[in-house]
Amino acid sequence: MEQHRLDAFQVVADPSRRQILHLLTKDSLTINALAENFAMSRPAVSKHVKVLYNAGFISIEDVGRERRCALKQDGFKDLQKWLEYFDAFWDSKLKKLESLLNDKTTKK
Amino acid sequence: MAKFIQHQLFYPQSPEVVWGYLTVPELMAQWLMPNDFKPVLGHEFQFRTKPMPALDFDGIIYCKVLEINPFKTLVYSWQFGPGDGTLHDSVVNWTLTGKDNGTELLLIHNGFDRTDTPIFAAMNAGWLQNINKILQLINAKTDGTTPA
Repeated sequence: MEQHRLDAFQVVADPSRRQILHLLTKDSLTINALAENFAMSRPAVSKHVKVLYNAGFISIEDVGRERRCALKQDGFKDLQKWLEYFDAFWDSKLKKLESLLNDKTTKK
Repeated sequence: MAKFIQHQLFYPQSPEVVWGYLTVPELMAQWLMPNDFKPVLGHEFQFRTKPMPALDFDGIIYCKVLEINPFKTLVYSWQFGPGDGTLHDSVVNWTLTGKDNGTELLLIHNGFDRTDTPIFAAMNAGWLQNINKILQLINAKTDGTTPA
């Protein structure tokens, strides 16, 4: 049933999913409560919720007959890892450039 | 949560010298990565480094010159991915400023896909506190009480 697992970037690329996340930054919400914010059908909202859940962006808890969604940090960590990776990458590269330029100066 | 990467360094060389290290493929390769860069607006080029499977990164960075203003600014797109055709977007911006007989070099690496959206801005402020608050609420509610 899970056709294709989307990565964190693909997950947040969808405006409806971003809006769901945005709504959840204020409070945890049931799928019904979320659906009230959208023109699309409840099953359509539910599908987006599932994508967010699969990617680790949100948690879903059964509360009585309701399913309640809340933000979870894992999905964001996935995005964060790239920022951290390239941050460290540039830091080391720019230092390499610095020593390269210093060598050049001393050799003159 | 940070949305972009920023590094600022001072090099005791002129902007012309530093510019060379940003725009001449042989010089770029000495500190950055092998590449087929050309200082031409719209030129598409690649950087190559070793693949990092743990990061879902095939080691190829796909770039395109978006802005070039000799000795002052250089902007190129910076796309990367696992090698299955999907690519993450980002943009690398270089700014050179002549100063005190040297060059102040500013790097801003930003535009990571849709990270410049309100959701990420919202997350900057007290993200973890919000998560904890929400988790506490959920935990409190799983004992059978009705959600508010």
